[in-house]
Amino acid sequence: MRRVNGWILAIAAVAGIAGSVLPVQAVPVFARKYGFNCTMCHSNFPRLNDFGVRYRQNGYRLPGRENEEKTVLESPAPFAMRTSAGYNYDKFKSTPGSANVNEFQLNGLDVLSAGLIGPNIGYFMVYTPQINGSRGVAAQSGVLEMASVVFSSIGSSMLNVRAGRFEPAYVAFSAKRSLTVSPYEAYDFAFPGGSALSDMQTGVEITGYNRRGFSYAAGLVNGSASGNSDDGAADVYFRAAKVFGPGEGQTTGQRIGVIGHFGRGRGTPGSPPTLSTRESYSRFGLDASLNCDRFNLALQYLRGDDDKALWDAVSDVTFSSGLAELSYLPATSLVGFARYDWVNTGDLGQNVRRWTVGGRYYFQDNIALHLEYSDRTQNQLSLPNATERFFTTRVDFAF
Amino acid sequence: MRKAVLITLAVTGLLCTTCALCIYANGRFLANGNLPPVVFPNDNPQTDAKVRLGRQLYFDKRLSSDGTISCASCHRPDAGWADLTSFSEGVAHQKGGRNAPSIINSAFTIPQFWDGRATRLEKQAVGPVQNPVEMDLTMADMEARLSAIPGYVEQFAEVFGSKPIEKSVAKAIASFERTIICDDTPYDRYVAGDKSAMSAPAVRGMNLFNGKGHCSSCHSGPNFTDSRYHNLGVGYAAGKFADPGRHNVTKDPKDMGAFLTQRLRCIAKTPPYLHDGSEKTLMDVIDLYNRGGVPNPNLDRLMVPLNLTQREKNDLVAFLEALSGPFPMDKEPPLPNPELTVDKLPRLIGGGK
Repeated sequence: MRRVNGWILAIAAVAGIAGSVLPVQAVPVFARKYGFNCTMCHSNFPRLNDFGVRYRQNGYRLPGRENEEKTVLESPAPFAMRTSAGYNYDKFKSTPGSANVNEFQLNGLDVLSAGLIGPNIGYFMVYTPQINGSRGVAAQSGVLEMASVVFSSIGSSMLNVRAGRFEPAYVAFSAKRSLTVSPYEAYDFAFPGGSALSDMQTGVEITGYNRRGFSYAAGLVNGSASGNSDDGAADVYFRAAKVFGPGEGQTTGQRIGVIGHFGRGRGTPGSPPTLSTRESYSRFGLDASLNCDRFNLALQYLRGDDDKALWDAVSDVTFSSGLAELSYLPATSLVGFARYDWVNTGDLGQNVRRWTVGGRYYFQDNIALHLEYSDRTQNQLSLPNATERFFTTRVDFAF
Repeated sequence: MRKAVLITLAVTGLLCTTCALCIYANGRFLANGNLPPVVFPNDNPQTDAKVRLGRQLYFDKRLSSDGTISCASCHRPDAGWADLTSFSEGVAHQKGGRNAPSIINSAFTIPQFWDGRATRLEKQAVGPVQNPVEMDLTMADMEARLSAIPGYVEQFAEVFGSKPIEKSVAKAIASFERTIICDDTPYDRYVAGDKSAMSAPAVRGMNLFNGKGHCSSCHSGPNFTDSRYHNLGVGYAAGKFADPGRHNVTKDPKDMGAFLTQRLRCIAKTPPYLHDGSEKTLMDVIDLYNRGGVPNPNLDRLMVPLNLTQREKNDLVAFLEALSGPFPMDKEPPLPNPELTVDKLPRLIGGGK
């Protein structure tokens, strides 16, 4: 309890300090650097708008103003934090290992740092300090979640190189910048011991874009090596996307994309606990981000092909998964969303269905009241269906 | 217990340090704010006598070939030191190809003209005098005329210690232009601490200006301009630009259709807008930006559709109006030797119509 109080005091102190010394539009990292509001780059924090995508593509430099950019040493301290606190209700049925929650909670803490190290060298880091779960505090692993350096515009915008630990570009809809607390099932579904597609990866990635709306990415990352540091980089991937119309498909324009991901993993199926050899798996996907007036429809389809050994199955496992998310932005301060996630695993009998609805009201750019309800069902062979009903109302803020 | 205390102290300490560094650095380098004092060039220090001379030259139509046009004809004090028409009328009723920009706060901007072909105010000051569509007077003719007006000769001798020459004419006019300042707007008072100076819609508009509206990515700094050139697609039709803009100066294909970011104080007083005066109201301009400009191969990467609601557009207009405040009004001062009209001055030696 005292530990809980400590964290609450720390957060309260920070909030108080931030509220008292920062301008009215208290804004994190990049916004603070330029004197912008969050909505310069975010349609609804944390989701990026079209301008934000271009800023990120350009290696954290304003397009056309690269020569004026200041490095982290010339800018305000490049640190920001994000956390949320509120009421969580999470009820599980037939889900061994999942504990019910029904209380007020602090929901983790992200410490972010980002900026430019040199004229065309940017970096982005996210550190999540370890938090031991207790009443009122959600547990969090202490990990350097992201730490990457990006070399931008090497010759042209068609060649940028990112190295380190980052969110790979094959994730068309960033899990880190999702409007929902509930995860994207299509990205999270993996063989036992395998990495979720939305997990951060360590490796190297090249990206590029042109003025006609085309962008690409290709990367080589460790992938699902089950912590075996002698496995070498095992996963390669690519992504290509094209935007039709103005914008980047975030709030304007229509974006379609394709991804391919080929990896080899050991996994940890029930028996044997860890495979002695690496086995192959692949993902192929199509995605679209369609905009009409103030509506955005995000679509993702993924097909997975896993070696049978990764699942300890009698034959190779093929599954399909996807999501369809509709969001509506009637005003800058309000966004509503509804999403359907699914995973069809065929004979494996682990089909997943999840419905999520909710909304966010922004008191100001960087403080949102978040409401969300999510209902998840997963088939289980010879067992009752596993279900989860999740509701949360929380204040999500970054500063 | 000890670990919890240490973590608490560490996090609090980190955040306190962050906040302290924010205050210390305060380097939000694109932020707007109050205007700094005018910096006068070392080679053209400001004096009252020079400003008086510059003011006379600014209003004197004898600096045009036919004696019908002065600087003030197109940069009218009663029109926010700009012109109310899309294209101003020069000598022989010729029409220019670009909207006359206001000279308000030009003291704070380095590049001048829509295409930035002048790199300082002194170079801009005599540009229109030589433009055949505007005042159509060669520098030789200008010097000859001014040298034939005793009142000017006397003043130039007093101010510059020489007879009227191009450089001193430019310096005098630039010195006068540096006095046309607008810096007491509701926005300026708001930034200075008077939170009642701007209306609620204007405050919302300011937040949009620095956020969803993306305005301050170019209209940055205290003078609301990045002094750079951007392609909004204005004037692009049938695969080409009506006006090449900055490309005329640099010949760089990337600059095709790009124009200098305009200053915004007193913008509400200076319609029409954009380099071709094609947008008649501030709302029209915002609508253009809201559409993401006019698609063209060179469209600036900073231009994206904004998805502004009608209320947000109204708020932005309210903010732009709050950038307007009192500015120096003026009228033609008594000119030296007014009886010496152009027909009584030396004949043109450098051309002219």
